[in-house]
Amino acid sequence: MLRCLVALLMVVGCVGAEEIVVGVIGPMDLPEGKAELRAVQLAAEEINEKGGILGYKVKVIYGDTKLNPSVASSELRRLVDEGARVLIGGFSSGVMLAMMETMAEEKVVFLADCSSPRASAKVSENYEKYKYWFRISQNNGTTFAYDLADMISFLRGKGYDVKRVYIIRDEHIWTEDVMKALKPLLDDMGVEVVKDVPIPRGYSEFEQLIIEAEDMNADVIMPILAITGTDDILVKQWATLKPKILLAGHSLAAIDSGFYNRTEGSANYMVFIADGGALVTAPPTERCREFIESYKSKYGHYPESHQAYGAYDALYIYKLAVERANESGESDPFDPDTVVRYLEMFNESNPVELTRVIAFTSNHDLAWGDRYVRNWISQWQDGKQYIIHPKNVANGDLKLPDWFKKEEVKTPGFEIAVALVALIALALRRR
Amino acid sequence: MISVLIFGAVIGGIWALVASGFSLIFGVMRILNFGHGAIFVASAYMAIFVSKICYPLSLPSALLVGVLFGLMFYTITKPVRENEVAVIIVTLATALLIQQILLSIFGDRGLTMQPLLRGVVNLFGVRFTVMRIFSIVIALTVLIALEVMMRTRFGKKIEAVSEDFESAMLVGINVERVYIFVMVLSSILASLAGYFYVQIFSVNPELSLRALIYAFAIVILGGLGSVRGSILASFIIGYIVALTITLLGSRWSEFVMLLTIILTLIVKPSGIFGVEE
Repeated sequence: MLRCLVALLMVVGCVGAEEIVVGVIGPMDLPEGKAELRAVQLAAEEINEKGGILGYKVKVIYGDTKLNPSVASSELRRLVDEGARVLIGGFSSGVMLAMMETMAEEKVVFLADCSSPRASAKVSENYEKYKYWFRISQNNGTTFAYDLADMISFLRGKGYDVKRVYIIRDEHIWTEDVMKALKPLLDDMGVEVVKDVPIPRGYSEFEQLIIEAEDMNADVIMPILAITGTDDILVKQWATLKPKILLAGHSLAAIDSGFYNRTEGSANYMVFIADGGALVTAPPTERCREFIESYKSKYGHYPESHQAYGAYDALYIYKLAVERANESGESDPFDPDTVVRYLEMFNESNPVELTRVIAFTSNHDLAWGDRYVRNWISQWQDGKQYIIHPKNVANGDLKLPDWFKKEEVKTPGFEIAVALVALIALALRRR
Repeated sequence: MISVLIFGAVIGGIWALVASGFSLIFGVMRILNFGHGAIFVASAYMAIFVSKICYPLSLPSALLVGVLFGLMFYTITKPVRENEVAVIIVTLATALLIQQILLSIFGDRGLTMQPLLRGVVNLFGVRFTVMRIFSIVIALTVLIALEVMMRTRFGKKIEAVSEDFESAMLVGINVERVYIFVMVLSSILASLAGYFYVQIFSVNPELSLRALIYAFAIVILGGLGSVRGSILASFIIGYIVALTITLLGSRWSEFVMLLTIILTLIVKPSGIFGVEE
């Protein structure tokens, strides 16, 4: 008791305030940033109601990256200047890699949201400099490749033969990393990538790509999309054209619980990997279920993006690390170097169950696997998201699109073409 | 090749509706309405909203947005019409305001609506959605109707005002009435484009700026003030985009489009059908 009191007094001296400041950083105009801020605010309220962290009330401040590396770095510095002892958030690997430099200069713990393997590679390459960085929202992007390959194996296991895949992906650093890992895995499985199409942000002409995939006899159109922002158009055009090709891959938008309604049901039958390891309709832990309901009750809707789970877990795992440091008699349990050591103790042999089961690897990635966090293979079915693989968390089974069974009805193409030509000829004659 | 023909025509047709209105306003009123993209997007949002209540009313409601916004842009630009910079600032500020309102009501993620016509047609072995084909037919019909209208008595009045509004006044043409008509008609064209766009794609508030940039680029390529030039330029852009996707890949589509515009303007600074000042 006396030891705790002494530690508390030392902390007061060190921090010099009655509150602990937590900085949330992200693209605040986007659902990802909003969800992160809201989740941290919710966690802070809950923690404050129970006495805060070692008696300190949690104060949440935030910065807007605007998805711009230089803006993000200066916002990060501002948050630290305003007293932030831990940073939560991020989003977008390019922005994150820039922020990591500022984080290293400021020596501030950063529980981060990004998928690029290059971030955790920095921790491996220069541990002392980058050790303050931990990935909390989702797995390393390389694991997306494992999950996408596992998805193909799962589909084959269910009798849907996949030999040819047509990939549509973000033209972005993070998908380059996924592709590097995915191509050899598909090669090993005897799956041919018939075309790999990088698309720029805001791209909308998917119908032409879907038709090309049909011409190339692809079995699966595999989106790997998080930045483009037009996943809904892809889904709509796929559902309208109804090709006998399964749409199965990674779509950040599809993880959003409102995606089905926003696409007017076009998302039906889409198979996607649940990046972040949690879904509103299939929470992997009891804590996750409670969080989802608390979020809905506070904000009137379910989390707008999966980043909410990571951000919520981030504040709680930081609290746990600080409290354990204090229990161990650390002179300053809030000291970043101390917090890093205690965060590292949550490893594969000592995971912690929050909204997901969190364990860090030696290079501060999230441990990947059925027991920890992985991108669950999921599907939209009649307005609801189901995890369909692996078995230990699955709450549904694969359903193939209903149009796969129907015979195509031949349409009078020639007649329509003639009518079009006649219309144009009439117009020219009038001139 | 048939797919490039159809896809190019759809992209071109939709942008032709937007750009022809943008061009018509400049040709007749000599103002640049930077709120044109906002009308395109706001009409699409109205169609989505109304379609959930009563689908058949979605098109009339989108067109009504066009009429109202046309009248609004006429009213707010009237006092500053002589000052080109002020017009740009007023219309751009209003467009940004509309974008923010849409953002706060509908959020920043894309929204879509069920297409008016469903199903797929097979043209020479290539499958297209019926809605795409229908969009081409409607866009061509409207553009032809616009051309026909310009040959009527009222069309001649519009042309007279665009040539010299003071002389037009002297011969008894009610110039303000022509201005109102042109502004409303242009807005209706943008609304119609927005309605068909959301049938095939989806909309988000950010699209208003993109639509404006597309329309502006097309109008410059076609020649500022030339409606025919804008229509031709729209189809050129449509085919460049469709062809680039097929031959070079999706990532190059906008790059090649913008490069074409820059090169055309270097060779012919007034655009394809530029109106000499």
